[in-house]
Amino acid sequence: MANAAALASLQQVRRAYPVSLHGVGLSLGSAGSLDRRHLERLARLVENIEPCLVSEHLSWSATAGAYLNHLLPLPYTEETLRVVAEHVDQVQERLGRRLLVENPSSYLRFRHSIIPEAEFLGELVRRTGCGLLCDVNNVCVSAWNVGLDAQAYLDALPAGAVSEIHLAGHAVNDADGLTILIDDHGSPVPPAVWRLYRKALERFGPVPTLIEWDTDLPELDVLLGEAHKADEIIADVPQRQGHARAA
Amino acid sequence: MPALREVQDLFKEALLGEPAPALVDLVEGDGLDPRARLAVYRHHVFTTLTATLEAAFPVVCRLVDRRFFAYVADAFIRQHPPAGPCLDEYGAAFPEFLGAFEACQRLPYLPDVARLEWAIHRAAEAPDVAPLDPTQLGTVAPADMARLQFTPRAGLAYLVSAWPVDRIWRAHQEQSEPMPDLGAGRTCLEISPSGEGVHLRSLDPANLAFRKALADEMTLGEAADKASCQDPDLDLSGLIRGLLSDNVFSSFTIAAEDGA
Repeated sequence: MANAAALASLQQVRRAYPVSLHGVGLSLGSAGSLDRRHLERLARLVENIEPCLVSEHLSWSATAGAYLNHLLPLPYTEETLRVVAEHVDQVQERLGRRLLVENPSSYLRFRHSIIPEAEFLGELVRRTGCGLLCDVNNVCVSAWNVGLDAQAYLDALPAGAVSEIHLAGHAVNDADGLTILIDDHGSPVPPAVWRLYRKALERFGPVPTLIEWDTDLPELDVLLGEAHKADEIIADVPQRQGHARAA
Repeated sequence: MPALREVQDLFKEALLGEPAPALVDLVEGDGLDPRARLAVYRHHVFTTLTATLEAAFPVVCRLVDRRFFAYVADAFIRQHPPAGPCLDEYGAAFPEFLGAFEACQRLPYLPDVARLEWAIHRAAEAPDVAPLDPTQLGTVAPADMARLQFTPRAGLAYLVSAWPVDRIWRAHQEQSEPMPDLGAGRTCLEISPSGEGVHLRSLDPANLAFRKALADEMTLGEAADKASCQDPDLDLSGLIRGLLSDNVFSSFTIAAEDGA
């Protein structure tokens, strides 16, 4: 983050609140090596901000000199597991802290994927000691788009590793007559995601929750209303661990 | 089973061009043509990159209208996808691309407007650094003055254009001025970070030659020679005073003597 004004704003927020840093640029799933320059930039930001949590995605973006600005899907194979685990190790070693890895929103699956995604994440946790960020909206979106069982997915994740939850709205699009859900962070959290959130809290405990809304931003009151709704659900689910609040 | 690298290279081709049959075969349809599933990803990549270019080149976008801009952006993205994860750095090659793009030839000033916008974009993103303290120069021995070398502030840029690009740019801001006479002549501009904004400064050709030479890390003596080529009656001390009061350099060193 080179922009001085943006960094100053983040530092100001940090003085008043704990901050969770969420990356999209590391490309943990690239067959090639990690972008060292980007990792160094992230490390400097982490030293500067001292966030409570740092997270990235189970996805890839970079190949053959091109950086495709999207969280692209991975085939879940032994080779991919080895690649992602090695990159997570490198990041954790450089940052000197645990990284959370987020489940992606999927619009396709590869025929040669042989490991179910939740099990893949579980094995990644076992090999690297990383934590998980469970994006409940992504579970919903992927369940619809590529035919996962959302509840079984949550049940298959290692509950103790989940240290943050994301919630968001999604768009409902038509693709050649078939409905595809798009994770666009541009609308209120829909009822199905709230329902799955309750189930996630029952399984993972009251972990910090973020409402992701970064396109078509509404008035602040609407955002606060969504956070308040998450707080109410956290308060309503039987407590198993310490208190956490939505933000 | 295909290697991960092979899948990713095929995926890149599919996003920037057409999906190869080898990739289509790897994707489960689940009730849809696999190509439609790949298109979801392609749509996102092109939408966000087009928006990134629009944000960096808003005046170019207004000059050609949004639909045409999206058309040019599409061609640019296919040929020049981002090379790194920071999208703030994406678009450096766009001005050059516009210059070579057949359908833009009727707007010959467009590439230079894009160059100006790119310089403004980079200056706005530059990290804040303390400007050079002019009193420090008082410690330099007169015999060393000609060998002074200055470090430009990050984001500092110079632009020489055959068109009045600064006035074209101003004609497309909120408090817009009228569009200038396109034959108004050559423009020499300095673009520099300034507090939380960006400063555009018109320079005469000698001053531009002087500052640009310094920004290219030539010594003060060499920069003065460059400026003298533009104006034999150069007021060098005036140029130096202006340089210091405009806060465009962050530090200085003294170069080793010739042959050292």
